[in-house]
Amino acid sequence: MGEGRPEGPPRRTSSPPSPRRLGSPSEIPLAEPTDHDMAHGRSNGSVPGMFPVLVVHGGAGHIPNERAELSLAGVRAAVRGGYAILQGQGSAMDAVVEAVTLLENNPLYNAGCGSVLNAKGEVEMDAMVMDGTDLSSGAVSAVRRVANPIQLARLVMEKTSHLCLTGDGASQFARAMGVPDVSEESLITEYARMRWKKNIAPDANPVECQMGKMGTVGAVAVDARGNIACATSTGGMLNKMEGRVGDTACIGCGGYADNKVGAVSPTGHGEAIMKVTLARLILFHMEQGCSAEVAADKALAYMKERVGGLGGVVVVDPQGGWAARFSSLQMSWAAAQNNTLHYGLYSDENFTQNIEDPH
Amino acid sequence: MEALRELVMKPVIVVHGGAWAIPDEMAKASVDGVKSAATEGFLAMKTGASALDAVELAVRALEDNPVFDAGHGAVLNANGEVELDAIIMDGRNLSAGAVCSVRNISNPVSLARAVMEKTDHVMLTGRGANMFAESVGVTTVPTDTLVTEWERSEWEKAKKYPTGVRELFNCHRGHDTVGAVAVDSSGNVACATSTGGIRNKMVGRVGDSPVIGSGGYADNVSGAVSCTGHGEAILKVTLARLILSNMEKGKGVSEAVDMSLGYMADRVHEGGGGGAIVVSQTGDWAAKFTTERMAWAAVKEEVIWSGLNPSEQFKETLTQ
Repeated sequence: MGEGRPEGPPRRTSSPPSPRRLGSPSEIPLAEPTDHDMAHGRSNGSVPGMFPVLVVHGGAGHIPNERAELSLAGVRAAVRGGYAILQGQGSAMDAVVEAVTLLENNPLYNAGCGSVLNAKGEVEMDAMVMDGTDLSSGAVSAVRRVANPIQLARLVMEKTSHLCLTGDGASQFARAMGVPDVSEESLITEYARMRWKKNIAPDANPVECQMGKMGTVGAVAVDARGNIACATSTGGMLNKMEGRVGDTACIGCGGYADNKVGAVSPTGHGEAIMKVTLARLILFHMEQGCSAEVAADKALAYMKERVGGLGGVVVVDPQGGWAARFSSLQMSWAAAQNNTLHYGLYSDENFTQNIEDPH
Repeated sequence: MEALRELVMKPVIVVHGGAWAIPDEMAKASVDGVKSAATEGFLAMKTGASALDAVELAVRALEDNPVFDAGHGAVLNANGEVELDAIIMDGRNLSAGAVCSVRNISNPVSLARAVMEKTDHVMLTGRGANMFAESVGVTTVPTDTLVTEWERSEWEKAKKYPTGVRELFNCHRGHDTVGAVAVDSSGNVACATSTGGIRNKMVGRVGDSPVIGSGGYADNVSGAVSCTGHGEAILKVTLARLILSNMEKGKGVSEAVDMSLGYMADRVHEGGGGGAIVVSQTGDWAAKFTTERMAWAAVKEEVIWSGLNPSEQFKETLTQ
């Protein structure tokens, strides 16, 4: 990265460390230096010792060329939105929900508006948030007609004593909370309908067609106080059966956050991610002393070998180390740390620009 | 090596009928129920059934038994309806199937197995799960047949004395998820968990049971776990996966469960009581809980072990 190992997080006199903070950075051994694991060839960088930090992804898989630039612009915009909250002393939870809301509102991604359609041509969405301070979490599965499932997931966490609400129950809860009911049409893009039509053609192979084309979105962050959070949202997989729930709504699979270890938001083949409980698996490796990057690579390699699934993850650790890693061909991702914006799409890409740069 | 392992592996099954404050009047029926379910699963494995078959059989037996909160005997949600969750997992290849918030299905565990075997998905929810049940010919039953008179009266009582969701949630009733774990003579492990959830839950509430890594997990590399207790706490620590990760680090089965239950109680503020059953790939087993009681039974080498209160362990020779 060329920046060398930083001394510690930026001192922010306006924000004394909160009592929930687990220890000053000097007491926590810094993550190992950033010598990238070239064996996996997808080295997206990691700068330990600096927070706040925010990393987002717009889904792992194969992104058509004509959508690649837009996809990168979208994750950069999302990371800027979330990072502004962190710079204003906002919480990691606020930042990940803001970043994911921006991605849900962007029709380019498979979440919120732009979600893929199920076998019946309908939109059913899954989302989850988790707060690493106390492991509290909220999720919704197979929810319909809400613009921002991620905000509904957060309401489940904050307003109920449950962790997950599904289907009609989730919709009833949304109405009770005053979340506006939006039309199904407002969530469906031309592109989503075109792909759905293509995939219900008699000679189509839906599974083959969409392997890795899933633009689930997600974010992980560490705020200035050292609190950690994750958020993930998706329309699921194209032509899924009605009622199919993927990894995104399942804690430990589609996301996990723990102030003591870090946070993960995955994307990719949902069923494979579930079988290996990918988010939790990566954090287990980190508990054993692996860096975010090494843990992510180990777990993604294991998922490929054990259940034949491809995917990608964004990861942060409590010292502000971060990683964006994937075993699929591409993953659009962006990260913000120390006023620098990092982003990439293919393996080994790590473009940087100043956070103030509007493009 | 494979052949040698097949020769030495003795099948083991452990089942639980839920970790909670089981009232005295239900104690005997609960212990009898888990013993009979464990015996059924064990005898099937003796005659060549897989661990997967055995856990499904045992959980079906518990679902059919109205003493337990799963299938027939399930608790009612805030609208007075039954919504059932279940999961099954095969440790050979980590394949899994789960259903959540299904209605009028008497054996959700078998529907979960159909999701595993007949779809590309791991989990189906609500109406979609019920439609899938119809399409594969899984028997549906009128919902009322799943509701016991006892549950209807308990639910009416709870309705009459409205409490905040948090109080309801902490009530002692309705923690009795059922589950089973097994290792068969080929050394394959499997788990299954099934529940009606908690009384007066919000419509659509999904607990730990159908969530892979929380309500259950099975992996031939380590073992199989089925959990019960405070669902939201179990989810927060992904209890099943946590127990197996402690075993992967070299802990014995009992220690791994104790450590994980202790961690859950410490880490989750609102108090996380629960229980878990576990088998290792080598046939070690444990049944532990931090709640007042948990009905459990285990069968290994023609001996049936069972218990209800903490540290209780009765031993009998299996009579066929």
